[in-house]
Amino acid sequence: MILRRIAAILFLPVMLAFGSGVYLYLGTLKSKVVQSRPVLPIATKPKFVLPGTMFVVQEGRLFKLEAGSFTEIGPGGDWSQPTLTPDHTRLVAVMRSGFSSDLYLLDLGGHVLKRLTKNDSRYIDLNHWAFYPRISPDGANVVYSFDSPKTNGVDLSVWSMPLNGAQSQARRLTDPYYYTGGDISPIPLAGGGLLFVRHSIDPSTAVHSRIYYQSRALAIAKPLTTEADDCSQAALSPDGTQLAMVCSHGKQTAALEVAPFTGTALGPPRVLLDGGLYASPAWSPDGKALAYFAPQGQAGHFQLWWLPLAVTPTPSPSVAPTPTPASAPVQVTEGVDLSATSPPAWY
Amino acid sequence: MTGQGPARRRRASRLHPVRVAVLTLFCLVLSGTAGAAAYFFPVVVAGVGQTGQTVVVPPSRSPGVQATPAPSAAPGTPFTVLLLGSDDDGKNQSPLTQSMILIRVEPATKHVTMLSIPRDLWVPLSTGGSAKIDAAYAYGGAAAAIATVERNFHVHIDEYAWVGLKGLIKLIDRLGGVDLLVTNPVLDDAYPDDIDTKFLYGYKRVAVLPGFQHLDGSHALQYVRSRHNDINGDFGRSARQQQVLLAIKAKASTLNVADLPDIVDTLKGNFKTSMGLDRIRNLLGVATAFDLANVKQVVLYACPSGCYTSYDHGAAYGGQSVVIPHWSMVLAVTKANFP
Repeated sequence: MILRRIAAILFLPVMLAFGSGVYLYLGTLKSKVVQSRPVLPIATKPKFVLPGTMFVVQEGRLFKLEAGSFTEIGPGGDWSQPTLTPDHTRLVAVMRSGFSSDLYLLDLGGHVLKRLTKNDSRYIDLNHWAFYPRISPDGANVVYSFDSPKTNGVDLSVWSMPLNGAQSQARRLTDPYYYTGGDISPIPLAGGGLLFVRHSIDPSTAVHSRIYYQSRALAIAKPLTTEADDCSQAALSPDGTQLAMVCSHGKQTAALEVAPFTGTALGPPRVLLDGGLYASPAWSPDGKALAYFAPQGQAGHFQLWWLPLAVTPTPSPSVAPTPTPASAPVQVTEGVDLSATSPPAWY
Repeated sequence: MTGQGPARRRRASRLHPVRVAVLTLFCLVLSGTAGAAAYFFPVVVAGVGQTGQTVVVPPSRSPGVQATPAPSAAPGTPFTVLLLGSDDDGKNQSPLTQSMILIRVEPATKHVTMLSIPRDLWVPLSTGGSAKIDAAYAYGGAAAAIATVERNFHVHIDEYAWVGLKGLIKLIDRLGGVDLLVTNPVLDDAYPDDIDTKFLYGYKRVAVLPGFQHLDGSHALQYVRSRHNDINGDFGRSARQQQVLLAIKAKASTLNVADLPDIVDTLKGNFKTSMGLDRIRNLLGVATAFDLANVKQVVLYACPSGCYTSYDHGAAYGGQSVVIPHWSMVLAVTKANFP
């Protein structure tokens, strides 16, 4: 009898441990996808070494990717959308603060050289947004999207201001459709023209994005893509002859496409990748590859991918070469959560 | 001596190895069950407190329209859920529904149809009088919302589910965020600043930039809630709400039963439904199996001509900006999609 009682008492901890073990084991069966949390780029080692130097953003922090490793640059703050000056010596980036965002000039180490705009105000309606900065090919002007005038809702127009000047010298370049979100992603061209993305709403009230060309400030803009294509996030190749873009064709997935660009018109696009969540393509410094963002698996956090291109000669000298993918895309980063709305700045 | 023999034999038989093994196994099963019960205890509590909410839908006063008390659909047959989303920030004791989406689920074919109902639609309420349809929930809770939709749209609703805004934020964060395509810049200078703040009537500026991206809960809420700078107003917002709902579904398909306690904990106090645990389990089964290609999205749009509804405002509507339904067009759409 005593022996059985002792055995029973000794067995109680075993039962307790087993019950706890079941509880803990069930906890390990939770979805790994949901549990997956991103890490900062500096805590990772890229799986592929990209040529040159690239600047990317995660959680409002600027990172430099060089020689296969990340380093964080820049002061604290909510940074996004870095872009390089044509001589590759400085950056212009956006910093959000409260209810506004401003453009800053930084050196390549992330030190602020100059605040270019002042868009914050104590009165909420007088705050402004500045996004998508790009420097003109001659390095003289910064072109960006700015939510002014605000007479008909809050829509972004493309503006230009001297890089070494003041915001008061800024002038508006485009006239957006009101209540659509407006014009974004400007690319200033060497001849003075401008590429940008304009949003519109068709009679069935579906929202569209199209890439436009405009020869000069406030001139009539010419659409280069159709409403049905829903193209945006254009990136011009270093030699200015090809345009990479993301086209959703009205779906919740997109195609990564490249089309020859004559300076004022687009040739027939070639689909490089289709059916994915592709974002913010950027050309390699030699123009032979693209980098872009896309989610890794089901976790959803956007990673950096690299896609080498092969140039196929075309018989017609008047049409630029048509690129086709030489191989499958290569995943560069793993486990990070890069900002898909901040295109990589790459030189 | 003769009396000790049988007693020793009885003792020996009680300690037989088979009996010991059976007893040990029983104890282990018991302790394992206790461990599992402890793990799923929050689910059981929520199952009792938040699911199977009883609603008594008042009988229809409109001829030819039958309002049936929910739930009524048999397992495996198509059923319709009214999804309600509303403020739960304490601004109103009875919150308005910011989102009303009719969802028809066909388990056999794994087809899902979603119809967004504009919140500003001017309709007769089941509780009496006319008002914007978003007031039905405020005046009479889920029963009034169901009855109002049933009477005006001539559909039968089997179940309802209500989610508060904070619950939506927490759910998306618990899922690790959602991926979606923001079609155009969503800029709003008068976005309600009423989440986790003492002053509930403030406004703030928000900007959600376009493109494919990963959104956390608060940014996803900004995307689905903003409407002041959208030329489509609440109709555009309805389309974005369906988009986020599908993104949540895509992410939720990676969940398994072990995630339930966390999800239940996340939605505590921010979720109510008439569905019982059995129906929820069936719904989750459909959700993990159906393909996005089998989802039909329907949004009632406003435009000057040839559309389902039109804007109006004035003294007749208490000075409110309302949407006047063209019922012949609306009912044609609902009849086609919600037979």
